[in-house]
Amino acid sequence: MNEKKIHDDQKYIDGLLKNNSFVIQAIYDKFVPKVINYIKLNSGNVDEAKDVIQDTLVTIYNQAKEKGLQLTCPFDAYFFLLCKRKWLNTLKKNNKEVTINEVVLSEDDDTQELAFETALFTEKQELFNEMFQKLGTACKDLIKATFKIKSMEEVAASLGITYAYARKKKSLCIGKLTKLVQESPKFNRLNY
Amino acid sequence: MEDQDYILFDDYITGTLSKEERLVFENRLKSDSTFKKNFDTFKELSSFLENRFEPETNAFMDNLENISNAHFDGMEEGTEKRQKNRFFGYGQFAMAASIVILLGVFIFNQFSDPAYGDYDDHKVISLTVRGANDSLSKEAEKAFNSKNFIEAETLFNEILSDDRSNLEVELYKSIALIEIGQFGEADELLWGLSETNSAYANKAKWYWALSKLKQKELEECIKILKTIPKEAEDYKRVQKLLKKLQ
Repeated sequence: MNEKKIHDDQKYIDGLLKNNSFVIQAIYDKFVPKVINYIKLNSGNVDEAKDVIQDTLVTIYNQAKEKGLQLTCPFDAYFFLLCKRKWLNTLKKNNKEVTINEVVLSEDDDTQELAFETALFTEKQELFNEMFQKLGTACKDLIKATFKIKSMEEVAASLGITYAYARKKKSLCIGKLTKLVQESPKFNRLNY
Repeated sequence: MEDQDYILFDDYITGTLSKEERLVFENRLKSDSTFKKNFDTFKELSSFLENRFEPETNAFMDNLENISNAHFDGMEEGTEKRQKNRFFGYGQFAMAASIVILLGVFIFNQFSDPAYGDYDDHKVISLTVRGANDSLSKEAEKAFNSKNFIEAETLFNEILSDDRSNLEVELYKSIALIEIGQFGEADELLWGLSETNSAYANKAKWYWALSKLKQKELEECIKILKTIPKEAEDYKRVQKLLKKLQ
């Protein structure tokens, strides 16, 4: 994937990463109306469209942050395809039987491939979240504090433990999570 | 999987291993596939947890929520207005129109559209001296404060040629550029400044919006104004201008 040329629209991904309001605003102005239109055409309303769009932008942000997402297709096509699939999944989950009214939009191989990677990423995030909830309270609190506060000295002080113990415990807690994730059948399916 | 390995993974990721230890670690990654597989998952989870809990992510979600709400609220208002207009009868329309015409004649001059000229009351500037170029700074200040913007722009350029990262001077230079009508360069500078984490970012957004106002690019102006946060010094003026424009 790295050999492919990065599309000029990478600026939207970079803007999201920097939490640049101007870029986010531009995405809403330029690309969101088409998504709303599609969802309204397919048994949805404006509020449902609002949620789908927001969730999709959060997913793109997460993927960019955690995996260094690089855009190899136009943002418009990629964003629309993600929103569309998310909405079709929602319809499926709610057992709504509808005839899909398609809009004509080019979905070339690059867009399909990138959207596929994002779908895998999303499934993994869901699994990670689910497994995180299975950790004990002490591990969860320590992990949260570690990444929120960022200084291990302060984390240790806030939890009333020594610095050395906090560091060791943090490693072991992430280790425990690693084990839980690896033991899940879903992970092995996703990590083909 | 040994606990010791998890501690080693975290030490490697957080960069607390010595140079030799790193080399040993990286060699083991190459030769031991189970070790590598476990490390990859551990690393993936570390990035996931970091992103999930660090404050930057929350800040992004809040900002996204605000922009999303503003966008969708704006849409609803638009629909309501259109619906109301549909029920506006012809009689009312004629009456309202005649009142508007009458009033318009009297108040046209007082309430015309907002213009750049309403906001170009730049404060007197006083440059922070960062280098030895004290006299140059004084000259630039004098030129700017006496509204001699062509000369001020030249002098700001001289300061910047020695001190490229002087954001304060960049801001004043862009104001001078707006004043002398060199909008392309001004907008580029202001965009750059508004992206920084500096104290000048919000001021830069405000002047960037004013530049668009002067160029009569009102939609762009509105978009930029909407990105200025509450804590900005010019927030009240921003809101007033937005009201007039929308």
